[in-house]
Amino acid sequence: MRRSTWLLLVIPLIFPPALAAQTVQNATLRRAQQAFDNLDYRQALTLGQASLRERLTGYERARAYELLGFTYSGMDSILKAVDAFKQVVLIEPERDLDPNRTSPKALSAFQVALTQILVIRQLRVDSVEFIGGQGAVGIRYTVTQPSRVVTRITGGGGTLGSMRIDSTVANGQVNIRWPARVASGDPVPAGNYNVVVEATVGQNSFSTSQPIRVTHGAVDTVAHLTSLPGYTYLPETEVPPKSWRPMGLALVYTGIALAGTSALSNGNLGSASLREGSAIGGGIVLAGFIMTLKKPAPQPARGNILYNSLLREQIARRNTEIAQENTRRRQQVALTVVPLPRTGGGR
Amino acid sequence: MRREGWNVGKMERVAGMVAVMLSIVPSFHLSAQHFAIGPQIAFGDYREISADLRYNGGGIAAKATVEWKKFSADVVLSKVKYKPDSHGTATTEFDASEVDVRLRYYITGPVSGELGFINRKADPEFEAQSVGAITAGAQMAYVLGPGVRMALRGGLLLGAKYSGGGTTSGLGALQLGLGLTVDALHGRVRVTGDYGFQRFSRKTDDGSGPLPAPIQQSLGRIGFAVVF
Repeated sequence: MRRSTWLLLVIPLIFPPALAAQTVQNATLRRAQQAFDNLDYRQALTLGQASLRERLTGYERARAYELLGFTYSGMDSILKAVDAFKQVVLIEPERDLDPNRTSPKALSAFQVALTQILVIRQLRVDSVEFIGGQGAVGIRYTVTQPSRVVTRITGGGGTLGSMRIDSTVANGQVNIRWPARVASGDPVPAGNYNVVVEATVGQNSFSTSQPIRVTHGAVDTVAHLTSLPGYTYLPETEVPPKSWRPMGLALVYTGIALAGTSALSNGNLGSASLREGSAIGGGIVLAGFIMTLKKPAPQPARGNILYNSLLREQIARRNTEIAQENTRRRQQVALTVVPLPRTGGGR
Repeated sequence: MRREGWNVGKMERVAGMVAVMLSIVPSFHLSAQHFAIGPQIAFGDYREISADLRYNGGGIAAKATVEWKKFSADVVLSKVKYKPDSHGTATTEFDASEVDVRLRYYITGPVSGELGFINRKADPEFEAQSVGAITAGAQMAYVLGPGVRMALRGGLLLGAKYSGGGTTSGLGALQLGLGLTVDALHGRVRVTGDYGFQRFSRKTDDGSGPLPAPIQQSLGRIGFAVVF
């Protein structure tokens, strides 16, 4: 038995939900699944085809075709496997096979099936919140064949009608951004909408949709600043370090006075009297000594005063900008776009 | 001459009494930015002509200070009773009454310019020379610490006139001073100390040629002032 066949056999055993979900109620289909699990491909093929002639749910029908696809792949009937997988994709366009759990043959057949039919898969709308006019909603989808793809927004309680937001010839994954604005530039009104994607090539067409809800809210305003992060006010006075300067200057002043007295004294009058100068000079030196020992008085710190002034100016300027920004924000609207659960597949 | 001297002495006494009275009325308000006035004790040394004619003594003084913007003014009235020094040959004591007025203008940094006059009267008038002069000089002031200021000043005594006659050359009369003020009682009172040195290189001429007759005084004053 070839390696791919072994994979086909082992994978369903390890991951039973891949082929037979618990929601499969049809007895024939369950017997077909059991035959496949027992590697009885002929029996699985017969029972699978028989189940398709019975009344099945969409899910069961997709599972029946998928079982046939896997069975044909195991039997190396690739063309038939491709046909079966095409039916699966038509019923469940979003259906994807896990490459880690599926044999390369089946995967290959599935990919070929995808290229032979026109479907739009994996339509996704990002959940997003932004200020009207300053953002966009991301929309992604994958189209399986080169085709003209038109994306429209419908709904909104009839106020919007149908608005085309994109039209392009595409193949593969497509990303578009919708600014959520109407023709006048205003944000779309709040409400429930559908993002409808329609692909057309020749006579074939396919469309799918994703419901979304758009809500309006107030835009947050910015609080005024009382300080700038990382910047704090500095003390505007500082105590200078203790210094012998007062004592030194007192000695210098007293020395100049006494020396000046001696120098200026008239020689005819004998040596000058220094008693008066010494008394006052002694007081000055004593005062200088005390002032040297005393804690200096705080002095204005020019650098800090200038820094604080600049900081206050900066905060005031920023608050002015914030006030203007808040005025603008109060006139804006915050749009919140949320995708809603889908009710059905495309067609 | 005698009558003139008596009039000046009386005026100084009246001014001194007014100053003392103002100093004990702290609720007195002036429109000036700062005004301080108070009494002082004065002590000094006086010499004239030669080393033998020397006196020392003590007395009272009053000092008023006004500060307004960059201007400030000091008015000092003093009366010192000089007694002959035991080492000299003088025999008679005399009273020296002095008026010292200084107007000061702040220039830059610690420096202020000064302009004023002094007038000292001796009583009895023939025991010592009465003298008057215009003063011009500069003051350097420095704040030693909170409420403590000192000042050093110096200048010329221009156009000196003497009761006994005589002249002085342009740079012959000089003065030097040192001052200290200490704020007390939250700045309401100032302790003051002042030192002043004056030298007049006076010359007289009795017809036989110029003779030196210098005059020199050292005066110290300690007191307090009430700040308004």
